[in-house]
Amino acid sequence: MSDIQRVLVAGGGIVAWSAAAALKRRLPMLDVLVISSPPPEDSLADRLGNTLPSIAEFHSDLGLSDEDTIVRAQSGFRFGSLFSGWGGERADYVHAYGSYGASVGGVPFHQLWLREGHPISYDSFSLGSELGRAEKFANAGMPEVQIGYGLRLNVDRYCELIRAYALHLGASERTGGVVEVERRDDGFIVAAILADGARVGADLFVDCTGPGARIRSRIDHEFEAWSKWLLCDRVSMTRDREESLLDEIAATPNGWTSKCAAAFSSAHGSGEGLLLSQGRLAKPWVRNCVAIGDAAVLVEPLEWTNLHLAHSQIDRLVSMMPGADCAPVELAEYNRQCNAEADRVRDFICMHYVTARRSEPFWKDASSVELPDSLQHSMSLFAERGRLPYYEEETFTRDSWLAVLFGQGSYPRRVDPLAFALPSEQVESTLSACRESIASFAASQPSYREFISQLGQRAPA
Amino acid sequence: MEGEEKVKVIVVGGGTAGWMTAAALTKLLPTRCDVTLVESEAIGIVGVGEATLPHIRGFNERLGINEAEFMAATRATFKLGIEFRDWARKGDSYIHPFGAFGRGQGDVDFHHYWSRLREAGADVAPIGDYSMAVTMAYANRFALPDPDPAKVESTFNYAYQFDATLFAPFLRSIAEGQGANRIEGRIVDVELDGETGDVDALKLESGERIAGDLFIDCSGFVSLVIGKTLAEPFEDWSKWLPCDRAVAMPCRTETALTPYTSASAMDAGWRWRIPLQHRTGNGYVYSSDFTSDDEARAAIVAAVEGEPIAEPRVLKFKAGRRTRSWVRNCVAVGLASGFLEPLESTSIYLIQAAITALVELFPEREISPIDRDEFNRLIDLEYDRIRDFLILHYHATERADTPFWDYVRTMSVPDTLQEKIDLFRRRGRLVKYREGVFLDASWVAVYTGQRVVPEGHDRRADLPPMDGLVRGAAALRDEIREKAGRMPDHRAHIERYCPMAEAA
Repeated sequence: MSDIQRVLVAGGGIVAWSAAAALKRRLPMLDVLVISSPPPEDSLADRLGNTLPSIAEFHSDLGLSDEDTIVRAQSGFRFGSLFSGWGGERADYVHAYGSYGASVGGVPFHQLWLREGHPISYDSFSLGSELGRAEKFANAGMPEVQIGYGLRLNVDRYCELIRAYALHLGASERTGGVVEVERRDDGFIVAAILADGARVGADLFVDCTGPGARIRSRIDHEFEAWSKWLLCDRVSMTRDREESLLDEIAATPNGWTSKCAAAFSSAHGSGEGLLLSQGRLAKPWVRNCVAIGDAAVLVEPLEWTNLHLAHSQIDRLVSMMPGADCAPVELAEYNRQCNAEADRVRDFICMHYVTARRSEPFWKDASSVELPDSLQHSMSLFAERGRLPYYEEETFTRDSWLAVLFGQGSYPRRVDPLAFALPSEQVESTLSACRESIASFAASQPSYREFISQLGQRAPA
Repeated sequence: MEGEEKVKVIVVGGGTAGWMTAAALTKLLPTRCDVTLVESEAIGIVGVGEATLPHIRGFNERLGINEAEFMAATRATFKLGIEFRDWARKGDSYIHPFGAFGRGQGDVDFHHYWSRLREAGADVAPIGDYSMAVTMAYANRFALPDPDPAKVESTFNYAYQFDATLFAPFLRSIAEGQGANRIEGRIVDVELDGETGDVDALKLESGERIAGDLFIDCSGFVSLVIGKTLAEPFEDWSKWLPCDRAVAMPCRTETALTPYTSASAMDAGWRWRIPLQHRTGNGYVYSSDFTSDDEARAAIVAAVEGEPIAEPRVLKFKAGRRTRSWVRNCVAVGLASGFLEPLESTSIYLIQAAITALVELFPEREISPIDRDEFNRLIDLEYDRIRDFLILHYHATERADTPFWDYVRTMSVPDTLQEKIDLFRRRGRLVKYREGVFLDASWVAVYTGQRVVPEGHDRRADLPPMDGLVRGAAALRDEIREKAGRMPDHRAHIERYCPMAEAA
């Protein structure tokens, strides 16, 4: 069985350079050539700087330190998002990473909170929410309540950093776009033809060229559209960076907006924005060509999953590298995992709309879509007894799902019987002790601005 | 909510399933249900499931059971895995351990490095030599796992081999202490509601009528409520798992007390050997299409190593499960819901899985179809995955020396399994899932033990220089051997920790 030796990575943004760096770092025996061109303006994973906490793991697999990725790249931090207007007249709520409360005797925290009649808001039991609202920073949580933070990348600086790192690891670069591919009779790609007419051969083609998927699209166009579930079909991005720890995501009459990005439905109103066809490729990897990032999955940036999905795909690409024949049995497992992951992100995003409480036509339509089976399954178990079924390859934790569901005023019909195994006084005191320890821990932390300015002093000019 | 009426639960049948259910419900949902168990002393229990999986420890812990007391009461021994003899070829043997190969750490699973060494023709031992659990098992040693994950003595897990006929009474006293009611009596009829079709009550021989809201069918193979009364169809899996009988015969323990169960391939099935403190359980699981009861009886009598302490006893069964385990207001737990042969000691695990799902989805008096459907989905997943894992043992063989082995070798297997095998053969990869009883190391053990050899390995395993890898593997093997050598003998550990009461 012969091995893959030459890998061609097409694209020139964060995704392509991250793929090149990961391949060279973790499979240094490969020859990695990046055919670079500026990422298209609609490539969300390349152009949005907000990340999920999972980026820390990606960096550690790459051998990149916080000194590199935070101090030198001048990244900020984020604990989550603050949703305003999604619950209609209801108060704003925070979806923060990390845990909400702490379970007692095997009974999940939220069931205890429900049993007490949800006396105060669910996000009061999240340390990330508490810190974020108070603009205080901590890089570790308490033993019983964890926090998680994502980064706010300075996109240009970060892209330069990851490019330099990939080159340092031995990746090579050639500028220019891929205009044509040369294929064998069996459909495998033999070479890419560049704008200047040059012909570049490789064993594996990694397409990180954004929504257009310039290489992968030559093989097939099988795309699973999500438009019947996610009505936003336009997206816009700014180059502004949110300065606080929480991104405010405000509902608008036909979508949502934030400091860095917005999305809306053009069928429900007008606005400025790029076309966004949400969905995913039926098979991200076919023969010797794999699509990564927006080339594989297109989803609105409501929960900042675009770069996360790209990282996760890159990680799979490294750990599931097949032989040069790209055997269907190996690709099938790769595709199965990627698709399962993308579909659950879709479900999570869709859940925001179906539980929102607004009366404009867009919101009425968005909340009354017929759900995908897997989301229907989650929603009906939640509605019955506050249970959320486990799915393989799930990006968001149960706490994340609950933060949004409770934040938007969705409650189950009944409390799980297990919550009644504990005496009421114990539940009550657990809740108030948890609330108090979060508040006092948060109060003792430094302000975020102070923390960031100290970091800034360590950064090279 | 606080004042909600309790659900009246009727457990149909004692035995392991019945008393495990009663003990768990009374412990975990004391304010939500009243539990009544109906059993008849005149009906025996099957009680073949003497060997368990490590999950049982979590169950016992949740019930607050003291390990040493439990082990003394059930005359239990420790179990580090299962030894398979003669499966892929006559003369082969391997152990499926409860634990990792290598140190169980790092990005790349140990078996990829092992494959690389093998492919390169380097000096490499069978993969079991790099497993703490396997090495301890073959050396008859036992100590509890070290809590420090950096140490190789932390890389194993364990279960028990115990006398199932003693486990039920042990649980009974716990369940009764927690408020479970027990009614002695033979059930002669199950009454259904004429309108809804739900189960209303059990009628006993004495004329007594036991009404309830939720009926837990723990009646064993009889499947009294879900099968006989509610007529839930049975999905027959015998084309893949053709064994349909077992002949059991316990004997005295005359050889070493092994901290593992053995499963030796026989002409038309396989034979178990389960060492307990006071006796050794033996049995021959066979297919009646390929051998007769008399032949099987003769084979087990010839095979047991110690003085028999009972006549051989034949049991009949069929591999498969009820299409649904929860139908209307009846939940089947254990053999009433389905049967998979005890090759991987899953009987008690399946009972536990059903109880866990029931506790997590415990209904109100009025049952929601959402809870019921989710329960059935979870149980199906458990059964289907175990089914595939069991079929692998038969199918991954080169044996053609008897009609039975030739049949299982050449039969077509479920697509879900064929994909797993093909993927492993390519490059040693495992179909990834986190939920399920047998995870990566178990599949690796059976594949490698049964000659499903990967053609390649993970490319990341090519990174360390070959000589360093050879030295590292040898050092790991030595360290494991040395650590195992310092552990106490299995029997000595038991005699100190949990000896059974004398004069049984």
